[in-house]
Amino acid sequence: MKKAVHYLNQFFGQIGGENQADIAPQLHEGHVGPGMLLHQKLAPVAEVTHTVICGDNFIGSKTDEAIEQVLTELETIEFDIFIAGPAFLAGRYGLACGALGKAVQERFRVPVIASMNEENPAVEMYAHELYIFSGGANAAAMRKDVKKVADFSKRMLQADKLRPAAEEGYFSRGKRLEAFDGSNRTGAERAVEMLLKKLNDEPFHTEMPMPVPAKVAIAPAVEKMEEATIALVSSGGIVPKGNPDHIQSASATKWGKYEVDALYELEAGSWETIHGGFDPSAANQDPNVIVPLDAMRELEQEAKLGSIHPYIYSTVGTGTTQAEAARMGTEIAKDLQRANVSAVILTST
Amino acid sequence: MHLEIGKFEVKDVQFGSKTTFAEGLLTIHKEEALQVIYEDERITTADLVLAKPTEPVRITPVKDAVEPRCKVTGESVYPGVTTKVLPVGSGRTHALKGVSVLAVGKHWGGFQDGLIDMSGPGAKQTPFSQLLNICLVADTNETFEKQEQQKKNTALRLAALRLAEYLAEPVRKKVPEEVERYSFPPLAKRTQELLTLPAVVYVLQLQSQMLEHGYNATVYGHDAGRMLPTLITPNEVLDGAVVSGSFMPASSKISTYQHVNNATLKRLMKEHGTTINFVGVILSNLNVQLEEKERAALMVAQLASSLGAEGAIVAEEGYGNPDTDFILTYEQLEQTGVKVVGITNECTGRDGRSQPLVDLSAKADAIISTGNVSEHLKLPPMERVIGELEAVARDGNAGGWNESIKEDGSVEIENNAIFCADSSTGDHYKTVKDY
Repeated sequence: MKKAVHYLNQFFGQIGGENQADIAPQLHEGHVGPGMLLHQKLAPVAEVTHTVICGDNFIGSKTDEAIEQVLTELETIEFDIFIAGPAFLAGRYGLACGALGKAVQERFRVPVIASMNEENPAVEMYAHELYIFSGGANAAAMRKDVKKVADFSKRMLQADKLRPAAEEGYFSRGKRLEAFDGSNRTGAERAVEMLLKKLNDEPFHTEMPMPVPAKVAIAPAVEKMEEATIALVSSGGIVPKGNPDHIQSASATKWGKYEVDALYELEAGSWETIHGGFDPSAANQDPNVIVPLDAMRELEQEAKLGSIHPYIYSTVGTGTTQAEAARMGTEIAKDLQRANVSAVILTST
Repeated sequence: MHLEIGKFEVKDVQFGSKTTFAEGLLTIHKEEALQVIYEDERITTADLVLAKPTEPVRITPVKDAVEPRCKVTGESVYPGVTTKVLPVGSGRTHALKGVSVLAVGKHWGGFQDGLIDMSGPGAKQTPFSQLLNICLVADTNETFEKQEQQKKNTALRLAALRLAEYLAEPVRKKVPEEVERYSFPPLAKRTQELLTLPAVVYVLQLQSQMLEHGYNATVYGHDAGRMLPTLITPNEVLDGAVVSGSFMPASSKISTYQHVNNATLKRLMKEHGTTINFVGVILSNLNVQLEEKERAALMVAQLASSLGAEGAIVAEEGYGNPDTDFILTYEQLEQTGVKVVGITNECTGRDGRSQPLVDLSAKADAIISTGNVSEHLKLPPMERVIGELEAVARDGNAGGWNESIKEDGSVEIENNAIFCADSSTGDHYKTVKDY
């Protein structure tokens, strides 16, 4: 049988009300309070072997200390899943479930399942980290909320395929992944139905909610170009012939850094593009059309800029996810900052 | 314009001494069929292999899919491609249903080629696992592109079109079991009854990102990248005016099979006269230069507004860079007062946490999502492979990488590699949801 650890605050942990909210974390064997219901509902797949109880104020004010104490205690036992709450609308309790749950998940690599009301501030903070089930506003919903958490936990422990957030009942973790339309309606049927609703001013639900784009502030202009060090960075896939870093031709996760200090231009034959998303013939004939080293050298000779950074940076920007692109961009930027580069010319394809 | 498509449901396919169709059984005289393939001297070796639903079979690299059809009242199924430019969209066409001809590379794959599993967990990714597939497995002497990641696959794709026409010949003079009828009256001659319904257009953004000839989707044989958005009737699209190209990663691609069976078009034609007044198809494109994108978006909006459209469905054959054409067109239409529903896939990454489209707009408030190109798939080994499995890992497939094929024959790929999995023509049940 799998082992579950349950987290409760001082109130649900049967220690006391607000006057006991300062108690330090404690680990009990077996289940406590609503843990009995959880224990029953987890059977026969899992059992609640231990319960962690902590005062809401203690963990709220000394969060790091409380978490470290709990993690140290948990090191002494074995468990497969960590279940927190339900915390309903209780803000401090919810935040405790979130902060502790996240720490337990990172340290022990076990799934963490919580339950809270949608108005609980911890939902917004931790929904992307944990499975937080949508729960009632107060303990009147205990039976229902515990059952939801237990059913999902059992399926998770049995490695069943998990369904989308709305079907399972947990808050979206910000992951958009494939699913099959439950009612077997084709894209065509869904599209025409949505159009008719939109035409008739009836409510409809897009299948792709538009994210709010992250705006990046434009950097101030370079004041003294004649003193500036300029770097060339490109998502156009220009690499030394043979692609020494094995950068992928699409959906890239790697970037390369190549010395060009001794070069006046990027010669065809020595450099090539490995970008899979555009017609490469012009770029292979003259790689400088993607990474304009030749034009930059001219400007350098005319003293219109200080110097050209001795390395170019390259990756492939086709099919590359926004998250991977942001990570690679951050890594390249750090490297450029270390080298005191003043500005970057970023070229695509 | 009045088009009739006579349907002949194929329940099984076999090889035999004569190419015939009787009582749901398609029999293929292989040697005779291969002669049709070898009419093109570029084809060096060719074979026909059958793959049926539920069989433990994996097919790759798939370059196009074609429905066997013959034009009963004319000469051309794919005008401007397999014949000179001739009219389509009216008269009688006969089609073998439930069956598709697949152009499969004997060895060489590329960026745009796809994989189809006929059973197992991979089968549900693409509607092509549900068809009786006649695989034309061939090699060609197009050595100039053997080592290229981007392949035109011209000889193989044309061969599949010829083979499909050959296979439909036995039903040319037969009486179909069922006839689909598509009537598209001229816009200026529509009844008052029709004119009271909201006018709707269908905008199809064909893949046309390549500058060189031979890669892009074609319209009556004309490169879609070299046209301005064009008004065309649904009948022409359903009767072979559009032929698929050879560029986009497989899951985002619209095959020739899907063009003539465009599920969204058929659905709109079904609503025509009841809930909407369907005023036509605007064939647009997906370009690489900003000015071209802006021009195409303006032209689509102009055509839609000239037609008096109140609503539009916009389908994008691609992802990534083409998302900008999609969003620009969406915005232009909305700005002109046309209510839009878009159909596209998304690229949210293996963890599902990336921005779904390259370009975003608050105006794009009604989208049908058909898949995540970067969905991570682990597919078990199959008893039989048609084509060459190594192509997925070796030849720069958009959804594969060097380590994609495991020793036991299982594969680890991104959805990008699955043939026509994110059907933006709307013939699949797949979507994307929050987890």
